[in-house]
Amino acid sequence: MAIQVSGITKRFNDFTALDSVDLEVRSGELLALLGPSGSGKTTLLRIMAGLESPDAGGLLLNGEEALGLKPRDRQVGFVFQHYALFRHMSVFENVAFGLKVRPRGQRPSSAEIRRRVAELLELVQLSPFAGRYPAQLSGGQRQRVALARALAIEPKVLLLDEPFGALDAKVRKELRRWLRKLHDDIHITSVFVTHDQEEALELADRVVVMNQGRIEQIGTPAEVYDHPASAFVYEFLGQVNRLDCTVEGGIAHVGGGALAIATDGGVQGPAVAYVRPHDLGVTPAAGGPARISGIHVVGPDARIDIDLAGLALEAEMDRERLATLGIVAGDRCSVHIDRARVFAR
Amino acid sequence: MPADTVTGTSVPMPPVRSALSEPGWVRILLIGGALLFLALFLLLPLVAVFAEALHRGFDAYWTALTEPDAVAAIELTLIVAAISVPANLLFGVAASWCVAKFDFRGKNLLITLIDLPFSVSPVISGLIYVLLFGLNGLFGTYLRDMGIQIIFAVPGLVLATIFVTFPFVARELIPLMQEQGSDEEEAALVLGASGWQTFWRVTIPNIKWGLLYGVLLCNARAMGEFGAVSVVSGHIRGETNTMPLHVEILYNEYNFVAAFAVASLLAMLALVTLVVKTALEWRFGDELAATRH
Repeated sequence: MAIQVSGITKRFNDFTALDSVDLEVRSGELLALLGPSGSGKTTLLRIMAGLESPDAGGLLLNGEEALGLKPRDRQVGFVFQHYALFRHMSVFENVAFGLKVRPRGQRPSSAEIRRRVAELLELVQLSPFAGRYPAQLSGGQRQRVALARALAIEPKVLLLDEPFGALDAKVRKELRRWLRKLHDDIHITSVFVTHDQEEALELADRVVVMNQGRIEQIGTPAEVYDHPASAFVYEFLGQVNRLDCTVEGGIAHVGGGALAIATDGGVQGPAVAYVRPHDLGVTPAAGGPARISGIHVVGPDARIDIDLAGLALEAEMDRERLATLGIVAGDRCSVHIDRARVFAR
Repeated sequence: MPADTVTGTSVPMPPVRSALSEPGWVRILLIGGALLFLALFLLLPLVAVFAEALHRGFDAYWTALTEPDAVAAIELTLIVAAISVPANLLFGVAASWCVAKFDFRGKNLLITLIDLPFSVSPVISGLIYVLLFGLNGLFGTYLRDMGIQIIFAVPGLVLATIFVTFPFVARELIPLMQEQGSDEEEAALVLGASGWQTFWRVTIPNIKWGLLYGVLLCNARAMGEFGAVSVVSGHIRGETNTMPLHVEILYNEYNFVAAFAVASLLAMLALVTLVVKTALEWRFGDELAATRH
């Protein structure tokens, strides 16, 4: 176990940022802390690094009690959201900083420092930029300098705060893949914070979904996406239709009987059914109960707005399927639900 | 030979007036007005100071500067500045560090207090010290019994000068440090730097230009301060007169050449300050911009 968080609580005045959080980060894994802003994910990351101290709870880093340790003694690499590169230092100086500030006895020779920095710049593909200043680099380059700088101290754990938050969409995607590959190569235990579910699902070995200072669910990307543990996780991960319903005898009735969904039991009375857009089937039917109110083509996929007796639904399918069905806006249709999850209200 | 058409003489472009440029007469009026104003209120007085100081010739000027009382005043001014500027340098860095990097109760009160010397008349600042440390003041009897003299002596001058000049460094640094935030310091700490290493290797390099500005302005004011110093000085010639006070005494004695000669030194101080400031901006403009953004 690389990191063990037990019962960590942190309050800022009246606001509870973390409410008795337990979490285990396994050695060598890439873990995502996913949640909306204010869910406590960044606070948890900063507590791991020693930049905040919790009001209660315990923290073990590689089996050692860490809360009493200063940030400098924790051997963690931290990549800040806005990189926090030293603006008056060149790329080389930035990466070398962690080695140069070591006490005399542990400090590598300057030749050794040069060799290590060159190696790291090679790793992050920035060798030609060693002499540049942060202001002369693009966002993606700064991000990689920040990563090289964090790795220079050979940390046991790498912590990244919204590592792609400040980048534009294309660079973000490239850098994401690159980071995944880097992690597969060097296998350093890593935790990153994000509010972008796509990022978490694509990049992480395991995802921790957080909300209001608590952990809602921990699991592999497939687990949290396919089997959300709570209504919050369902809503937060991906697009979803949220349907108020009443469950009677295992059947959820939506919109005054316009739609019936079979449930796996357990829930009775007022409830909410969650249906992913791609789990909502559409069949053209001349006298059907629903009407296609709009079709939006986004790249290879199509998003279909459906009006079911005043209830707005959203379906999703690929364009081929759309062409096969041959539906256009204004057509009548019937809808069926392939898969739904019902939570008591 | 298609190249010929390119190397031929260039065709003069017709004058194009951009949407943002004003007609000629407006430009002349605006620029001329500004220049006239500058000449009248800034340049003319400066020229007048030097003209008056030198109008009996350079020997008279030199004598006025080298007579013992003038030398004593110059020395005293340098001593007062040499103590109060470093004191305010330390204070300014400490205060802006507190304000910019930490959140605490009473922060706004501290910022207001830092501004106090700007809003209080310097004469009042001087009087406060007289009320505190003067013979009839709060600590007066105690200080007399201990044999310490503050008012009408160098310590009083230093105290008054520190009070009047203490906002300069802090005012320059607080916005700068607030804008820079504490991300870089946090990064340094996580990378293994001690607090001391973080301060010297990260914080100070990021604020050095702002710091230098603040110190320059602080020094100019410390040497030129009149009001507060006047109250606590006692005007003892050769002992507690700083340059501005010396100028006043000479002027009141109708010794215009000597008064303007000493005044010209103060004017030169102002010019040197400006030149250094401009030179720094010119020489390190890029770096300056980099640390501000």
